[in-house]
Amino acid sequence: MEIKKTALAGTLESSDVQVMLSQGTNGIQFDLDSDVAKQYGTAIKATVTSVLNAYGIDNADVKIVDKGALDMVIKARTIAAVQRALDIVDEPNWEVL
Amino acid sequence: MSEQIQDIHLRNRMQRKQWQDFLVDRGIEVFADQEIDVIDDTIGLFDENGQLVGTGSIAGDVIKYIAVCNQGAEAGSRFNTVVSELVSRLAQQGVFHIMVFTKPQYTTSFEHVGFTKLADSDQGVLLEKGDPNIQKYLAAIPKKDPDEKIAGIVMNANPFTLGHRYLVETAAKENDWVYVFVVNQDASLFKTEERVALVQAGTKDLENVIVVNGGSYMVSYATFPAYFISSPDAVVDYQTTLDARLFKYWIAEDLHIQTRYLGSEPYSHTTDLYNQALQRELPPEVAVKIIPRKELGSGDAISATSVRQALSDGDINKIENRVPITTYQFIVSHQEELEARIQKGNENGD
Repeated sequence: MEIKKTALAGTLESSDVQVMLSQGTNGIQFDLDSDVAKQYGTAIKATVTSVLNAYGIDNADVKIVDKGALDMVIKARTIAAVQRALDIVDEPNWEVL
Repeated sequence: MSEQIQDIHLRNRMQRKQWQDFLVDRGIEVFADQEIDVIDDTIGLFDENGQLVGTGSIAGDVIKYIAVCNQGAEAGSRFNTVVSELVSRLAQQGVFHIMVFTKPQYTTSFEHVGFTKLADSDQGVLLEKGDPNIQKYLAAIPKKDPDEKIAGIVMNANPFTLGHRYLVETAAKENDWVYVFVVNQDASLFKTEERVALVQAGTKDLENVIVVNGGSYMVSYATFPAYFISSPDAVVDYQTTLDARLFKYWIAEDLHIQTRYLGSEPYSHTTDLYNQALQRELPPEVAVKIIPRKELGSGDAISATSVRQALSDGDINKIENRVPITTYQFIVSHQEELEARIQKGNENGD
């Protein structure tokens, strides 16, 4: 699956995460901003990657601003961003959910 | 959390006063028309007592007039709420690239919500967030061998005249490659895409010239928001310095531009100040070369202003010897439309 359109989900408030997805050409590229990047950077990226993989997205630029979100929040925000980026907001992907 | 975001309508006198007082208390004191008129949306964050505790505004892809009161709240949380709302609203409009111009001391606050600093001066700093960012912009421009002689010119070309042509030609003769950046600003009489097309058409025979749309990074420096700087003298200094440093540390650095060419500026004082700022900021990494304006004889320098003047006077004969044939043909075939635009009074820039 190719990302055609840039999409954003989430907020910058405490315990949330803001995920922006845009078209990429070189695999999944991360730009991560988080106060806990050192401790949880790898885990955050792994969560986002697994959602992208579930939707079959191989190329994407992912910009994440994390404000201490829990794993399920990261997953939920990423799913929302993907559904918007692929223009399938009305067709939830039950296998991923 | 019973704090709520609401729209603030600046046309409503009471809301405007409340908003303005709140900003003045926080050290933002400039409410000039050119800052306010471009605002599309203003939001307020209100606490449980209906008290204004935060605000921010959207103007195109720029967010401005951001201020919060941190009393009774966790440090930074109201700031994040306001920025978050502005970012989401822009995303809903399909705007994913955002710029902010602010005081240097707020750099970290914006970096914390995903902004990256592009340039700064003593007075102000420019940050961006989102996609496409400056790296993507630069990646799309063809690169040349850094060992070759590479020059850059930034022009509004409103429209492209023989004066511009002379400047490009001179640079093209003295260098292996010349990047010509066309300022992206649709307030000009000629639209950005028209200006880019006319520069392309007017330099087609020069094989070492690369014409590029200035994108978000080469705009008219005069449009840099300066609502947070009270002294008018400091404003021009901040705008020109920021513009010069953005060019030096990102554009010239990435494209290996060693020389920036400028046309001499006999008429406009602000452009002259701009040229001075470039001469102060760009060297030694980027040399600045000022080329005297081409004249028509009798000391009559060719300028885009004189072309627009002739157009507005309906004196199209005066234009022919000032512009390349490509620009002339465009003007003749779009004369009515251009005159209508002048009527609408949206003439601006050089």
